[in-house]
Amino acid sequence: MHKIYIHPLPVRIWHWLNALGILLLIFTGLQIRYAGLFDVISFRNAVVLHNWAGFFVGANFLLWLFFYFFSDRISVYQPELNPRKYFPMMFRQVYYYAWGILRGERNPYRVTPAAKFNPMQAMTYQIVMLVLMPLQFYTGVLLWDSTSYAGQIDMLGGLRVIATVHVLLSIAFVGFLMTHLYLVTLGHSFGAHTKGMITGYEEVEDEPSSSDDAAKG
Amino acid sequence: MKNPTIASRPWSLLLAGMVALVLAFPCMQALAQDEDADEDESSEAIELEEEDLACLECHDDPTLETKLESGETLSLHISTKDFLGSMHNENSCADCHYEIDIEDHGQGQSTITSKRELGVSMADACVDCHKKKYKEYNDSVHALLIEEGSKKAPMCADCHNPHTVKSWEIAGPEEAMPCGKCHEDIFKASAKDVHGLARNDKENPGPLCSGCHKAHGVKAASLGSGIRDTCLDCHKDAAEKHKVWLPNSERHFEAISCPVCHAPNAQRRVNLRLYDGAGADKQQMLEKTGVPQFIKRAKAADADEAGLDDRELLGLMKEFTKDVGVGKTVVRGRLEVSSGVDAHQLADKSKAISDCKTCHQSGAEPFQSVILTMAGPDGRPLRHEVKKEVLNSLFSIDSVKGFYVLGSTRIKLLDYLLVLVVVGMAGGLLVHITARWLFRRAREKRAAQARRDSGSQ
Repeated sequence: MHKIYIHPLPVRIWHWLNALGILLLIFTGLQIRYAGLFDVISFRNAVVLHNWAGFFVGANFLLWLFFYFFSDRISVYQPELNPRKYFPMMFRQVYYYAWGILRGERNPYRVTPAAKFNPMQAMTYQIVMLVLMPLQFYTGVLLWDSTSYAGQIDMLGGLRVIATVHVLLSIAFVGFLMTHLYLVTLGHSFGAHTKGMITGYEEVEDEPSSSDDAAKG
Repeated sequence: MKNPTIASRPWSLLLAGMVALVLAFPCMQALAQDEDADEDESSEAIELEEEDLACLECHDDPTLETKLESGETLSLHISTKDFLGSMHNENSCADCHYEIDIEDHGQGQSTITSKRELGVSMADACVDCHKKKYKEYNDSVHALLIEEGSKKAPMCADCHNPHTVKSWEIAGPEEAMPCGKCHEDIFKASAKDVHGLARNDKENPGPLCSGCHKAHGVKAASLGSGIRDTCLDCHKDAAEKHKVWLPNSERHFEAISCPVCHAPNAQRRVNLRLYDGAGADKQQMLEKTGVPQFIKRAKAADADEAGLDDRELLGLMKEFTKDVGVGKTVVRGRLEVSSGVDAHQLADKSKAISDCKTCHQSGAEPFQSVILTMAGPDGRPLRHEVKKEVLNSLFSIDSVKGFYVLGSTRIKLLDYLLVLVVVGMAGGLLVHITARWLFRRAREKRAAQARRDSGSQ
C-alpha cells in the first residue's frame, strides 16, 4: 500500500459542503412533499431551508465549475468518448463490481491524481454535474419564484411539468446517493475512501512487481 | 372753548342707550321670526309646484293601488313627506312621468302589465339624468342577466325607490344597501363578519356591499381575480405584510382568493377555470349567449355523471382546444370558498389561517372538492364537478398543468417511483453485500494463494 494525494483541499471542502447541502435538500424536500406523513420541522421552515440550501448548493456548484474549468483538472471528469474503448472499459468496471469484487479480483482501474475516476464514475459524475445538477437548479429556481418566471414555466409546459421534472431528478439523486454511499465502502477497507476524502490521500494497492521492488528496496 | 363730549355728560349716554334699545327691538323680533322660518324650511325646504301638489292630492293615499294584468297589485301611494325628504324633491312628477297625459290619467284600466314592465320602462327616465351610473350598470352582471331574459335581475327602481331615495351620506348603512332584498343570506352573513360588525364604526367604518362589489358596475365576484384587488385597495400593505412570512406570496395571491384564509370557517374548494389559448393574452373563457357548449360538453364527457375523471377532463380540454384553433385551452386552478355566504364570513386577521398544512399535505380539506368552470355569458361561473383524484393523476400533467400545490396535489405515481428506487436500490445493495459475505471464503483462498505465489517468487 502507498498513499497518493488525490483530493486537493478545495475539492475536499467543496465535497463536504456539497454533501451537507444535498442531504439538507433531500431532507427538506421530503418534508415539503410529505408534510403530514412526518413532521420533523414545519412546512414553512422546510420551504425556507430548502430554498437557502438550494442556493447554497448552487453557489457551491459554481465554485466547482470555476475550479475545474479554470484549471486542467477538468480532465478527471472527461470520460473516454471513443465507444470502442469506453464500452470495454465500462464493461470491465461493471464486471468487477458485479463479480470480480466478490472473488477478490483486483480493481481494473488504477487511481492517479490525473485520472481519479474509473470509467463508470467519470461518465456518471459528468452526467450528474453537467446535466442533472443544472437542470435541478433551474427547475428549483422556477419553482422558488413561480410568479416571476411564469412565462418560462408556461413555455415549458406548466408548473406541474416543472415540479414533476424536479421530483424525478430528486429521485435520481436519491438513487445516486445510495449507490455512491455504498461504493464508498468498497475500498480496501470500509472507511478507506471516506478517509481519503478527509485527508486528501487515497491508499492505493501496490502493483505486484513494484511492491516487490519496494520490499527489496 | 372746550367741546363737550358724551362722556362728560352721563345723562346723554343713558338716553342714547335707551334710544338704541327701542330701535333694536323690532329688529330682534324680526330675527326671531326668521329663525322660526328656517326651522320650518328645514322640514319642508322645497315648495312643491302646483301641478305636483295636484298629483299628490290623489297619490298621497296609502290605500291607492291598481290591479295589473299580471295579477300583481301595484301600490300607487306616494308619501308627500317622504318625497320631500328624498333626493328627488326638486324634481317635478312630470320630469320622470312625462308620458302621462293629464287629460285621461286615472281614467279606465292601467296600461301597465306588470311591475317588472313598469320598472323596465321607467329606467329610461333615470337615464336622462344618471347617464354615468347607467353606463356602469349596463356593464354589470345585473344588466347582462336582464339581457339574457332574467325576470329577477334588478333595474334602477328595484334598488332605489325613486320617491324616497336618500343621499348616500345621510342614509344609514342598512338603508343604503338594498342588496339584501335579493342576496338575503349573504347580507345576513356579512352583517356578522368583521366588515359587517364595523359598519357603524365612525372612525374606521367597515365597507358596505358596494364598497367591494360596486353598486352599479357589479360583476360576478368569482370572475378573474375576483375582488382581490378591491381588498387590496383598502388593505394596501397586505401584499407586503404577507411577503414577510409567506414564501412565494405572489403565487399565493394569484391562486388563492382572500376568504380562503380569512374566513377560517368557510368551506373551500378547487376551481379549475378554463382559459383561452396560450401566451400572455390568456383570457378566461367566456361562453356566448345561446351557445350552451360548456354544460353540454361537460355532461357528454362525464359518462358516469359522477364528476369528470382525469381522462375525461383531458378529452374535454382537447375538444375545447379544437374550437379555439390558436393555442391550447388550458385550466388555471384557484382555491376559493364554496359560496357567497362563505366569502362573507371574514374573521379578524388574528384568526386567519396561517398554518401551511391546511393546504400543503395529502388529503387537505380544500382539495376534497374540485370543479371545472367556464364563465357564463353574464360572467357568473358555469360549473361541472371533477373527481378530486384528478389533482394527483399523471394524466393531469397536461390538463391541469397550471395548478400544482406542494404536498397536496402531488402525482401519486412519483411517490411509487421513489419507493421503487429506494427499495430497489436497497435490495440490490443488500444482495451485493450478501454475495460478498457468501464469497468471503473464496476471496480469502485467493488472497492466501496470492500471498503464497508472491512468497514463492
